[in-house]
Amino acid sequence: MNLELPDLATDFGAAAARAFADLGGVDCARRAEAEPGVREVEVAKALDGLGALDVDPRSDLDSAAAAGELCRQAGRNVLPYPIASVVMRSPEDGLPFAVVGDDRPRVDHGDLFGEWRISTLDGRSKTAGPMAPRLASKLGPFVTDLTAGRDQDPSTGADVSLHMALTGWQILGTAERALELAVEHVSDRVQFGQRLSEFQAVQFQLADAAVAVDGLRELSRFTLWRLFASPNEARADVLALRLHALDSARSVLRTSQQLHGASGLCDEYDISILCRHIQPEMRLPFGAERTASELFAAAAAIGFSGLFPHGGSAV
Amino acid sequence: MDYDFGERACELRARLRELISTEIPHDYLGAFTDDPEDLEVAQRFCRRLAAEGLLTWAWPEEYGGSGGSVWEQTVVREEMWAHHEPRGAQYMGLNWVGPAIMAFGREGQKERFLPPIAAGQVIWCQGFSEPDAGSDLASLTTRAEPHEGGFRITGQKIWTSYAQMAQWCVLAARVGTATTKKHEGITIFLIPVDREGITVRPIKSMLGPHHLNECFFDGVFAGPDEVLGGVGNGWNVIRRALAHERVGIARYARCDRLMSQWAGTRDGMAALPVGLRSAWARALVQVRVARLLAYRAVAEQEAGRSADVSASAARLAVTQCDQQVAELLFQAVEDRSLEGPDNDAPLEGAIEDHWRYAQAATVAAGTIEIQRMIVSRSLLAGNKGAP
Ligand SMILES: Cc1cc2nc3c(=O)[nH]c(=O)nc-3n(C[C@H](O)[C@H](O)[C@H](O)COP(=O)(O)OP(=O)(O)OC[C@H]3O[C@@H](n4cnc5c(N)ncnc54)[C@H](O)[C@@H]3O)c2cc1C
Repeated sequence: MNLELPDLATDFGAAAARAFADLGGVDCARRAEAEPGVREVEVAKALDGLGALDVDPRSDLDSAAAAGELCRQAGRNVLPYPIASVVMRSPEDGLPFAVVGDDRPRVDHGDLFGEWRISTLDGRSKTAGPMAPRLASKLGPFVTDLTAGRDQDPSTGADVSLHMALTGWQILGTAERALELAVEHVSDRVQFGQRLSEFQAVQFQLADAAVAVDGLRELSRFTLWRLFASPNEARADVLALRLHALDSARSVLRTSQQLHGASGLCDEYDISILCRHIQPEMRLPFGAERTASELFAAAAAIGFSGLFPHGGSAV
Repeated sequence: MDYDFGERACELRARLRELISTEIPHDYLGAFTDDPEDLEVAQRFCRRLAAEGLLTWAWPEEYGGSGGSVWEQTVVREEMWAHHEPRGAQYMGLNWVGPAIMAFGREGQKERFLPPIAAGQVIWCQGFSEPDAGSDLASLTTRAEPHEGGFRITGQKIWTSYAQMAQWCVLAARVGTATTKKHEGITIFLIPVDREGITVRPIKSMLGPHHLNECFFDGVFAGPDEVLGGVGNGWNVIRRALAHERVGIARYARCDRLMSQWAGTRDGMAALPVGLRSAWARALVQVRVARLLAYRAVAEQEAGRSADVSASAARLAVTQCDQQVAELLFQAVEDRSLEGPDNDAPLEGAIEDHWRYAQAATVAAGTIEIQRMIVSRSLLAGNKGAP
């Protein structure tokens, strides 16, 4: 048993953290919303400098963990870039890769590339390109609808799984940062003559959020390991991670925003940007309830690993 | 990152499952039922484990154990709790009374107390909580007055699990008067439950007939050689004991097993009502996450770091998962949840039994509110400007 990240991943994550801090942290997302070109110019350059595209998470667990750390750091800053999609770009033609819903291929930062490779959960794969401008909405500032083009060979299940797992790591990063922001805020803000952190009602909410983040972190690592150790149950494993990421992040973000009071709704505060900019990752290709029902179906069909048998051909 | 337990631990798991399947009746619900045979099953099983060298697997070799790794200990905890703790009340002696005696005991105490625990011959109980000292345990008022070279102990303990069947008690009492520092003066005594002046009364509860008790101490004599860890050093012993208890119960393993028994096959899952399916999917994930958080606490322990905070985080997840799964299984069996083991209840009463015990999960061994305080304190301490 070894629950720790490989050194390669830790080092790569630390380098990513520095690079994203140099971009201004969450401020980079703020600037990109006002000036979307920031993404191609600044962010793409920073990722290049980092060697982000030299990591191929398909090759082995250490590389996958390094990619996971990269995505987690991106999530901490809601980096305005389709990080999991470029990490999972096709080795043949270099096209960025996204998992999409069954009826409408809608992708975060879809406008950044003229051509994509998209796949549904069950592996039906096509090329696609942007068909409309960005939504430019509050909750999906960079979300773009794509039109599907020619059929491609069915994508390997591994690509779909890794993309979903890495998105889980990205959401983990956002939840982690949201918790830290809450801790900072309640340690600072005084009401009724004392810091908010001295109220037990506040402390208990922080504790629950901390356990949610800790649990998601452990599950993120475990899931990557499972993808390599037991690829036949990958679909159930990544859906489990996605479900837990969505449920945990929703509650942690909510807690953090609530503990910020009215300031939590203001874009001047990072928590507001985190809450808005992570929405596409939480809603695409589908949200928590659909994820739960897909997970149930996958667990029943192929099995779900535990101390005792669940689903699959278990007897 | 590697979540493989390793060959030795996997073999251990297989061996334990094999033993349980041959030694424990398939409808066993633990040692504390109305049927006295159930206690006998547990006592027999402990002796069998001892004979196989499995009872003290986790203990260091110098005390007759196998020096099993923390991960092998985890396997033992999981398999035992999953199968309704067939060691009965003896798990306390093995999990923390023995280790506390190893850590704090004098040579004579080790020689006297460890071999019977290792042989599966003795039940210990824990006399800490009092009517007015629950979460605030350090405010306990049971007094130990110096008397003829020893002590006379007077006071009341409550919620003492297994006191009726125990031979020995780890008792916390106060020597001297309470000062502003409540932790000072607390002293641990190792005394036989049948000693003159001790009265044990069962407390009727939803946990069944033999679980909770109150214990009255009326001028009970304790010799100086019955003090564990020195006069006034009791709080250190208690902290160590409670730390063991916190990672102690692998409740997620029972949840895992019951869900597997109820709908662990493809067909079983397909038969679940549609309205329950997303809750079922979430519970599968919660059980996995609770297990991983417990593993995190074990890993901290293994690395020699303090596992206090990670153990509290694990306990928050594990105990709430226990209740969530208990409720889910009740939804699954619908009104058959009202049937007990004698009514031919689903899974021979295991679901109903689990629900009742799960209600205690968030209180026993320190409430989840106290765990939340531990977690948030550490979180805030890591932040500049925090209290
Ligand atoms: C099944 C079971 C077995 C047990 N076995 C044993 C045993 O063998 N030996 C033994 O010594 N004890 C045993 N106990 C007792 C157990 O340790 C106590 O129940 C526990 O420590 C809580 O104490 P209490 O019940 O007095 O609750 P209280 O401390 O009175 O708490 C009541 C409620 O108030 C909350 N609360 C208390 N203080 C605070 C605070 N500062 N801030 C916020 N909320 C607070 C609690 O979290 C809880 O929700 C057992 C309990 C159970 C349920």
